Amino acid sequence: MTTTNPGLSRRRFLALGGAAAGGALAVGCSPASSTNTPVATGTGSAAKGVVTVMSQSGEFGPKEAKAASQALGLTVKTVEYDLTKLTAMLASGNPPDVVRGMGATETPYLVARQVAENLDPYFEKSELIKADDIDPVNDVWRYDGQKQGSGPRYGFAKDYSQDCTIWYNGALFDAAKVTRPSATTPLLLDELLDEGKRLVKRQGAKVSVYGLNPNGLGLFGQLTWMTDLAGGKLTSDDLASVDFSSPEAQRALTWYLEYAKAGIGPTVLNPDPNGWDGPTFQAGRMAATLSGYWLGGLFSGDAKSAKVAGFAPAPQFDTGRRVSPCFGATGLWMPKAGKNKDAAWKVMEWYLAGEPAKARAAGGWGIPPLKSLQKLMPQKLPYQKQAYDVQMAEKEHFSVTSYTPYVRQDAINAVITRELPKAIKGSVSAGQFADTLNDQINAQLADGKKRLR
Amino acid sequence: MSSALTEVRRTTTAAAAPPADRRKKPPGLKRARTFYLFVAPWIIGFVALTVFPLGYAFWLSLTDSDGLSPRTHFVGFDNYVEIFQDPLTLSSLGKTGLFALVTVPLSILAGLLLAVMLNQPIKGRGLLRGLIYLPAVVPPVGAALTFRLIFDRDAGAANGVLSGLGADPITWLVDPNVRYVLYALVLWGCGGSMIISLAGLQDIPRELLEAAQVDGASYWQSFTRITVPLLSPVILFQVITGVIGSLQSFAPLLLSSGSLSGAGTVPQGNYLYMIHVFAQYFSASRFGYASAMLWLLFAVILLVTLVIIKVSARTVFYTVEPEGKK
Repeated sequence: MTTTNPGLSRRRFLALGGAAAGGALAVGCSPASSTNTPVATGTGSAAKGVVTVMSQSGEFGPKEAKAASQALGLTVKTVEYDLTKLTAMLASGNPPDVVRGMGATETPYLVARQVAENLDPYFEKSELIKADDIDPVNDVWRYDGQKQGSGPRYGFAKDYSQDCTIWYNGALFDAAKVTRPSATTPLLLDELLDEGKRLVKRQGAKVSVYGLNPNGLGLFGQLTWMTDLAGGKLTSDDLASVDFSSPEAQRALTWYLEYAKAGIGPTVLNPDPNGWDGPTFQAGRMAATLSGYWLGGLFSGDAKSAKVAGFAPAPQFDTGRRVSPCFGATGLWMPKAGKNKDAAWKVMEWYLAGEPAKARAAGGWGIPPLKSLQKLMPQKLPYQKQAYDVQMAEKEHFSVTSYTPYVRQDAINAVITRELPKAIKGSVSAGQFADTLNDQINAQLADGKKRLR
Repeated sequence: MSSALTEVRRTTTAAAAPPADRRKKPPGLKRARTFYLFVAPWIIGFVALTVFPLGYAFWLSLTDSDGLSPRTHFVGFDNYVEIFQDPLTLSSLGKTGLFALVTVPLSILAGLLLAVMLNQPIKGRGLLRGLIYLPAVVPPVGAALTFRLIFDRDAGAANGVLSGLGADPITWLVDPNVRYVLYALVLWGCGGSMIISLAGLQDIPRELLEAAQVDGASYWQSFTRITVPLLSPVILFQVITGVIGSLQSFAPLLLSSGSLSGAGTVPQGNYLYMIHVFAQYFSASRFGYASAMLWLLFAVILLVTLVIIKVSARTVFYTVEPEGKK
């Protein structure tokens, strides 16, 4: 039996209640999907009413809402981003008008479930965002039903990074007598691993300085990228299965396991208590990290870090293939069931291309999604200028990676981190690890695909 | 004759009674109506917020809902069948059972021990009671994050102490040590158990203990033959609520050793049932399967509670009968 739930339905509202039954976990049934034809009825002053933005308070919080209200003559409210809350709001047919999201990994998932609005008509009429000014990274927010990077736009980045570029602590490199990474020639991953082993500092069994952190925004992304660098593909063309057993994927896995076994940086067996690289780097406890340009925003107010920080291109294998991916492209999207789309677009447009976008560009916490704003990126301090130059050259090596629409990336990462400790401890080989990942992740993908039938 | 006359009088009286009296509702019905009127808010809340969501969750457990997809398919009892074929679900259930088996007795015993100690007329016992109870009022999230800091490998106080003693640091927050951190976290909050036991101890009639003393009973004999039996309903209450709480443990597991970003980073030692439910809901978006898991947990809790009550029937001593008679 199949039930279809167009629009707001009693069932979807009731889904909220179902959550409480099992430990206060919100549940839902379906999004509204009354039409597949997007219509932008206007982009000008006609837009009015209340717009609710679900985002993180540090990005689009009450302060930004107040500024938006004043600038646009609308009433803008904010709701703190929370996946549970978002699901419940979507399920009850009362979604926020604008939602924060990570385009690189979420777009296919949202589009396949008919949750996100096709924004092409709005972009066509936009006064602030012109087609030839859009940075190619925004293509991660496009999905044609089979491939990410083409088709309609379902969202737009507020800023982005190429997330495998390297921030390094020059002082730690000098102290360890390791040559600082080149600003133009990418390091080989094997060299980087070797350097990490030389850069790590230990006090007895305790690591006082991490030599390297290559974990990025999740291991699935990293392994997908490294498999690509090795000349293969981790995900099949139809995005419905993964293969960790191919020679290229094995190369990626083996590299990561060697890193983890060397104990030179954070792993699931030895997590960084700070939870992210910023504080660790600022404390002089991290020699190199594949974190992306955005981390540099942290150093502008930290003279100590600014003095030692250096930026380098994303590393590669010795295959000659060079890819510098983006795993986030955090931005905004609009739920299809939103009630006030024209006004929501005005808020999106203002935030993504108006005054807030200019301020973000100058802050250095990411690369602006519009080419015209990229000249505003900070270049005053030496580290900023160096990072800017490296980043501008790095753009040439960006390409969109297609993520699967069948499961959330979190689910895949959960499998990897669950099984990884056995491989790090050596109780299973890289091949066995690959087989386990294939079995479990492919089962998830098959289940997700079945649900979309 | 007279009886016939009496009968006629009765009939006549009844027939002659004013209609208003006949309409008068029996006092029992009136009382019942008043009762239901007063409890109506609770009943409405219970139906709307408990019965109905439970029913809806059961319906969800029969579907493959993911919360967002436009179509939801009815899959019958497939999710329930899958539970018994999913090694991760079964292993997490086993770990949860072991967790309850270890932490509930430990927590009750620690609380009882502290209660007995602090029931003595010692100086500053009020302050001591307050200090020991304090961790129980700390929100679980705060406690879990505090423990995470204490047991951090590089910066934690626990390894700081070890380091001061010349020992190597221990990776507390990863397997296999992580489960001991969890046990420590549970025991840290045993002040709640202490307060309940203390209340139970103070309810024990002093004359019984004095009589035992006069009869020459030792302290241990008084404790085991009088105190513990009289405290048995309190202990039963703690066992039942403790087991239910343990089987539903979630936030401390996620926060003390995992990551705020999700269940995927929780070490296997702490990968208990509710963590797996969380992973199924919010990482895998398998709302149907996760709802089935929660219904299974409900059944397990119900079964365990019934077994405890049944088993305890002969060992729990009630000084008050159900009717309120002593």
